[in-house]
Amino acid sequence: MTLTDNRHQAPPAVVATDLTKVYGQGDAVVHALRGVNVAFATGAFTAIMGPSGSGKSTLMHCLAGLDAATSGTVHVGDVELTALDDRRLTRLRRERIGFVFQSFNLLPTLTAEQNIRLPLEIASRQADQPLFDRVIDTVGLRNRLSHRPAELSGGQQQRVAVARALISKPQVIFADEPTGNLDSRSGAEILSFLRTSVRELGQTIVMVTHDPVAASYADRVVFLRDGELVTELATPTPQSVLDTLVKLEA
Amino acid sequence: MLRTALAGLRAHRLRLLLTALAILLGVGFIAGTFVLNDTVQAAFSQRVTADADKVDVAVLPRDAHAVLPARLLDRIRALDGVTDAQGLVRGPAPLLGRDGKTVGSLPTTALSVVRGPLDRTNVVSGTGPGTDDHAAVLDENTAKAQGFRIGDTITVLDHERGEHRFELVGLIDTGVDQMLAVTGALGFTPATTQRLTGAKGYREIDVAGDAPGLERAVAAAAGPGHVVKTGDELAADLARAAGVEARSFTLALLLFGIVAMMVAALVIYNTFNILVAQRTREMALLRCVGATRAQVFGSILLESAVVGALASALGLLAGYGLAALALTVLGVFDTPLPTDATASLTPATMAIGLAVGLLVTVGAAVLPARAATRVPPIAALRAQVEEPAFRTGLPRLIVSGLLLVAGLGTTAAGVLMFDPGQLSLVVVVAGGALTFLAVLILGPVLVKPLSAVVGRLPARLFGVPGRLAVENAARNPGRAATTTVALTIGVTLMTLISVVTASTRTTMTAQLDAQFPIDYLLAGQERDPVVPRAVAAELRRRPELSSVVQIREVRATVAGRRVDVGTYSGPITPAVASGSMTGFGPGQVALNESTARDLGARVGDSLSLQTAEAGRVALRVTALLDGSQSSLPPVTVAEGPFDRYFGAVPDTMVMVNAKDGVPPEQARKLVDAAAANYPVVQVTSSTEVRGEFDETLDMVLMIVTGLLGLAILISLLGIANTLSLSVHERTRESALLRALGLTRRQLRGMLSIEALVLGLIGALVGVVLGGVFGWAAMMAMLADAAYSLPVPQVVLFVLLSGLAGVLAAVLPARRAARASIVDSLATG
Ligand SMILES: Nc1ncnc2c1ncn2[C@@H]1O[C@H](COP(=O)(O)OP(=O)(O)O)[C@@H](O)[C@H]1O
Ligand SMILES: [Mg+2]
Repeated sequence: MTLTDNRHQAPPAVVATDLTKVYGQGDAVVHALRGVNVAFATGAFTAIMGPSGSGKSTLMHCLAGLDAATSGTVHVGDVELTALDDRRLTRLRRERIGFVFQSFNLLPTLTAEQNIRLPLEIASRQADQPLFDRVIDTVGLRNRLSHRPAELSGGQQQRVAVARALISKPQVIFADEPTGNLDSRSGAEILSFLRTSVRELGQTIVMVTHDPVAASYADRVVFLRDGELVTELATPTPQSVLDTLVKLEA
Repeated sequence: MLRTALAGLRAHRLRLLLTALAILLGVGFIAGTFVLNDTVQAAFSQRVTADADKVDVAVLPRDAHAVLPARLLDRIRALDGVTDAQGLVRGPAPLLGRDGKTVGSLPTTALSVVRGPLDRTNVVSGTGPGTDDHAAVLDENTAKAQGFRIGDTITVLDHERGEHRFELVGLIDTGVDQMLAVTGALGFTPATTQRLTGAKGYREIDVAGDAPGLERAVAAAAGPGHVVKTGDELAADLARAAGVEARSFTLALLLFGIVAMMVAALVIYNTFNILVAQRTREMALLRCVGATRAQVFGSILLESAVVGALASALGLLAGYGLAALALTVLGVFDTPLPTDATASLTPATMAIGLAVGLLVTVGAAVLPARAATRVPPIAALRAQVEEPAFRTGLPRLIVSGLLLVAGLGTTAAGVLMFDPGQLSLVVVVAGGALTFLAVLILGPVLVKPLSAVVGRLPARLFGVPGRLAVENAARNPGRAATTTVALTIGVTLMTLISVVTASTRTTMTAQLDAQFPIDYLLAGQERDPVVPRAVAAELRRRPELSSVVQIREVRATVAGRRVDVGTYSGPITPAVASGSMTGFGPGQVALNESTARDLGARVGDSLSLQTAEAGRVALRVTALLDGSQSSLPPVTVAEGPFDRYFGAVPDTMVMVNAKDGVPPEQARKLVDAAAANYPVVQVTSSTEVRGEFDETLDMVLMIVTGLLGLAILISLLGIANTLSLSVHERTRESALLRALGLTRRQLRGMLSIEALVLGLIGALVGVVLGGVFGWAAMMAMLADAAYSLPVPQVVLFVLLSGLAGVLAAVLPARRAARASIVDSLATG
């Protein structure tokens, strides 16, 4: 397997250039992003860290085409998101992007399996059955497939969400505090799944977190403060991430 | 707590808006009905008051058909203090139209136009007849319809059908007299009126005078056989008589108002239920900080009271506007109602409107408010409001099952055990009410399977959004059921009325075919024997005609009762129910079944008939006739004996059939020609009769459907309301779907399909109920009723309901699609 090599040769999966986001007007104006330049390598697991209110979620929303940036550009692969209308943007999300949110990831009326297949069905695509089986077994949901979200624990629900994101083989998965609501054991499970999918399936993942332990699962951590990218770490450990954070907040 | 309630109102302003609109429409309709009635009644009494001011005392015969003798007028004139007294003559005097035939299906009424202060004729153009015995006035509507203008010569028949010519000198307004509005009115000098009508006296004597005790003096002069009224009493009686129709019209309208309010109550109930469910955490928080159950209950009722009061007040205004509009519309069509009056909003109307609106709103909010008190304080701490799991529950099944059995049983009993008529209909209505209650309770159980059936096609056609929509429609069965039942009410009634009209049409057409299997009917205005026998003789000579049947009838006494006795001549096959008419001849009689029942006669019995020219004769009953299939007289004897008993009376009617292949215009022309010399003989073709009948039915259907439209509209507000509240609840769900790649269009489509499914479920249940109870109502009203389900109409109802549901979803869907994904994900 030469996925690691591939990661360095392939063009980046997502690139943001001079990205700014301004909320409100006049006195209430908030500069959530102030000219962010960042690239996320294909086949890599990147974490975005920073203190609360630093703009992590805003950055992720703009990168994923969920929200429009005030200025600057975002490319996913060769497509410039910032130039797309809502319809094309929706299509792009449907075809190239996967999501794992902190909570409320699943439709309560659908079973786990239906939730997992939902993006494919919205896109009228056929599921890749070997991939489906592999993902289901990896996340250990085989005997939970016919359950509805209300019958699953928080950790199981997040596993369903991860499986759903993986099943459509998106160009990039965005995860916003995917372990924020979980106990540490379930959280660790989810993070291992994410890392495994990067290693074994070559999946590109961008994860927002404020937890140094979570960030340490990533290949690389970028740090935000007051809407600006201030520093980054390669091959992070919980301790190195924590140190960097402490330095930032000082 | 008051502050909390008001804050709640402000926060849910938008969500309560549709509810308020539902109340507003219901109250508006009811208030409008009252305003319309009040206005019409006020206008009636205003008009008669002006008339009655002229009259101080009026004398009327105790029996409405009797007349006052001329001697009485002389006696009253001679009384002290009487300044003027006039006798009013009134009677039938058929006007001839430009075609030389009598006008309308009833003879025109002739009135005497007196001179002096007691003249109550309202001449709107030209002059009155004055003393000119060759002058006449005519009511405006008849003049317009017949194309007569002042200066024209008109022809009027006297009571012996002699023709008289008059110059039309003026046009009159018939005022509040509903009878004149139907027959049309002619006015002449009193002498001419008397001569034309052959009246033997006066219908009323009006007295003017100012002596005290005048009424008593007149009463003394009139004696005990007469009614004496003051001018005011006369006015009040006239106004009441005039208003009777307006009042029954009001009552009918109110029924529709009640239906609308019922639907509004369901919508309100649903809204408050959903609001309470959505505010579970808020309620729990209130309980946590120390609010009692009673306070929570009170705050919700207060909220509903404020909404109810505001909406009802606006409803009153809407009602006033509606009534004013109705008056204008009625004014455009020549209705016999005083439409020039300005609408008036009386205190009673305001009180009723406000009370109804308030009671219905608060009443509908009671159950939801009780549900709110059941929220435990601990619910405030739960992170997420859980989906209410719906369980069918055995009690619900048992109760609704019992109700259903009781309802259908009652209905069946009403149809099977009672003779068609009012009682049977009442029982069927009661059965309908029970069945409806059963459906109401069973609703939540039905929603899931029905949505699966109805949603099969949309789910297949529209992929993921379609499937999710069908799931969502039945997701909260209680809510969906209430929403759809509101629509079901309207659709049930609409289907019922179209089944009843269609079945009536089929039944009547079948009966007309049986009874009136003819092309043309020649008869007088009032079923009198006025068609000279020469007409039938003339028609029989025409080779273009295949059959000519004469029917002759007179009033006579049979076994001590006044009945129509008659005979027939020509090729006709009597519908014999029992006995036989072969060899029907002298000494024999055939009876209609219903007449036989009245007389207590059976086949083989002997009856005595009092004849005009042959004294009393004894007749043997040889046959009973099926009345619904027969056009023979109720008491039929053979032709020869009839002429011997009653002389050479003219025919009552002549029924004519043309030969096959003879063009209708040609047949009509020769039938007209045979009747041309006889102004009283009117020619009707069966196509005309059927056409008029069809038009009447269509009209009824249109009006009722229009009035039910209100209930439907309110139920659509309910669908829109439920959807927008559900959309609000599912904000994060929608955002998630959008994030996963559902386009705005698909999201809008998803909500439209959900509404479509709700609309279709409501309509389907309504169509089934309406179809069944339309059948039951028909059977309860008419013997031998035919059942006809107007399939295209019913399919149209279902499609329109679905479409209307989709329309109701437009605004909620747009709101949902516009919401920003990021903001929506953050809520909750
Ligand atoms: N919809 C919004 N309107 C106004 N300000 C916002 C909005 N969303 C985020 N912000 C502000 O933008 C900044 C960045 O927010 P966010 O991206 O959520 O930070 P983080 O996820 O790092 O905690 C914060 O100051 C926040 O208050
Ligand atoms: Mg955040």
